[in-house]
Amino acid sequence: MSEDVEKEQLERRLRSALAAVGPGERLVPGVMARIAAEPALGKRPPRAGAVAGWLAFGLAASVILAVLMAHEWQVRRLEQGREARRQLIEALRVTDEKLNLAYRVVNGGERAAPAGNSGV
Amino acid sequence: MSGDGEWTSGDLLTQALSGDRAAFAALVRAHQRTVFSLALRMLADRHAAEDLAQEVFLQLYRNLSALSSAAHLAFWLRKVTMHRAIDRLRRTPRYRSAAPEEAEAAASESPESDPMLERRLRALVRELPPAARAVVLLRYQEDLDPAEIARTLRMPLNTVKSHLKRSLAQLRERMSETAEALT
Repeated sequence: MSEDVEKEQLERRLRSALAAVGPGERLVPGVMARIAAEPALGKRPPRAGAVAGWLAFGLAASVILAVLMAHEWQVRRLEQGREARRQLIEALRVTDEKLNLAYRVVNGGERAAPAGNSGV
Repeated sequence: MSGDGEWTSGDLLTQALSGDRAAFAALVRAHQRTVFSLALRMLADRHAAEDLAQEVFLQLYRNLSALSSAAHLAFWLRKVTMHRAIDRLRRTPRYRSAAPEEAEAAASESPESDPMLERRLRALVRELPPAARAVVLLRYQEDLDPAEIARTLRMPLNTVKSHLKRSLAQLRERMSETAEALT
């Protein structure tokens, strides 16, 4: 038998021997059950990349929030300092006025007394 | 729908893409023989082949939107089945020596065929290395030409041709040995 005829015969036998076989009745229900257990298309849980993205976003948001809070705290501290300074100046001004008044009273009395005595 | 009232794979694909699960089940039924047979002859284990076929169809369900036509779907199913089977063989070499002849009992043996000879041929195909076996199955089970096999297996065309040549030579030699032993 020539090599070509032999090859042809082998190929024909291979096609016959390797004809497709059926998987039985369980395959389709099995596939559909696994699909039913899957989340709906488009509603699947986020992948690792998406989770990492959200984590990075959350971390960045936390850092920005912390910086803003620190800035706000510093501004409030400055305002409190200014208010304390203003109150201190006001207290000094009032004290100064009172001292001036007392000084005038004391000085006015001292001047009045020699004037009264000189008329005697 | 085709002219004789039957849904074609293309119609089913369109329906399945719109979320119709009954259409997807019909799509699985239409392609289950191809996927299961390839898996069975690669893994030589009926349960492993069914499991692999289920995984392939599950992956199909998840990737349905990436498929554009019935031809693309058939190509995709063969490609994914073969790559998954070769991966499994790498990870689980025990499949290589299993004897699945009982799983082939339902094989369509034509009246004029020689069942014993066909069993022997299937056994010899199982003995081929995984890549060569994949090439032989796509050529003689799926009737693909070498260029289509090269695309499916992402293999250079010359490698496909040399696998085919060497495998046929090996099978012919072993078949001759069998014939001599019987006479």
